[in-house]
Amino acid sequence: MLNVNMGSNVIPSTFLRNVMKNGIGRHVCQLQRVTLSLCKWSPGSAPAREFVEQDMVDFTRQNPGIVFYLKPRRHRSPVLKAEYLNGYTEEIDLTKLSREEINHWLGLLKGRSGQQIVRLRKDFHTDTPSIQGVWNPFLFKDTELSIKDVRDPSLSEYISPFKSATEKLLELKKKSGAS
Amino acid sequence: MAHNRVIQWGAMARTWWLYDAKFQCPYRSAEKLCMYLEGRHKPLYHPLSDVGDHVVVINTRYVAMAEDLWRKQQYKHDTRYAGGKSSATAWRLHEADYTKILYKAVYSAAPKNLLRPTIMRRLHLYPEEDVPDDIIGNVSDVIRQIQVVPKPLDSYSAQEIEEFPKLFDWPEDHVIYKRKATTEKKEES
Repeated sequence: MLNVNMGSNVIPSTFLRNVMKNGIGRHVCQLQRVTLSLCKWSPGSAPAREFVEQDMVDFTRQNPGIVFYLKPRRHRSPVLKAEYLNGYTEEIDLTKLSREEINHWLGLLKGRSGQQIVRLRKDFHTDTPSIQGVWNPFLFKDTELSIKDVRDPSLSEYISPFKSATEKLLELKKKSGAS
Repeated sequence: MAHNRVIQWGAMARTWWLYDAKFQCPYRSAEKLCMYLEGRHKPLYHPLSDVGDHVVVINTRYVAMAEDLWRKQQYKHDTRYAGGKSSATAWRLHEADYTKILYKAVYSAAPKNLLRPTIMRRLHLYPEEDVPDDIIGNVSDVIRQIQVVPKPLDSYSAQEIEEFPKLFDWPEDHVIYKRKATTEKKEES
């Protein structure tokens, strides 16, 4: 869980981290407790009441590991609160949602790991990691650097792709002098 | 892998580079230095990551400007008070501080974002060749210069001048101006 206070509509961002012991052992449903708070009277909670009448008992029978609480709250919009094994809680506002949609949300909460959904800042990934190893600043460095002094002018001198007129003249002289 | 953290230390290590600014254009040098200061020469470069290297520059006193930029280039300053505007030519600024020209060149070539102060702190400028031992001890590689360092006539020996191939003979009444050797050159030789 992130210790960042962010707005409810903002998806927090992090870097990719390794989830330890991932996929080892049997499946344990991470959703531990669901609290549905709804109003007994207001029309806004009508689909939530429908859900309680028709689907809630089936859900609890099928999932004996999940505790289901009902909280009647007068003149409040219906809210679904899910609590996970790792301490993470997620609230879903059920305003203007139909009975079918409430069922879908509950199914989603049941299948989640309890890890907060985050946006990855850097999503670089490879399925074929390098065999040669990770790059480092000394890779492919010229070995003469280790024996030469860094002040050696041969290391810093500009290497021109062209010959200067002086060099050409001296070359000509060498040629004519040799012959 | 057990050595993953050590591999990461190696990949993210900052190297120190040496650059000799003798007779180099400060503005074109700055572009090249910025590549190393920002870390653009690394395969792991990312504009949001702080992966730049350190650059030690020596001989900033002897930077060379093209044409008559020493007289024409204006460096402006504003104190934000009334009448606080001032400007100095490049040669005046250079007289006040021999590292200032290159500092300002790199500053304007660096990316204009919040990473710039950090980048500038990794630039170490020295007017002459002498650098403190704790700085030069870190240097592990050299950045190549960007232009040819001209060889003055004084540095040639009399024999070399004598042996240089003659293309034509001067007329007998031709007067050749001979530059006087500066006092500094005398001290060296």
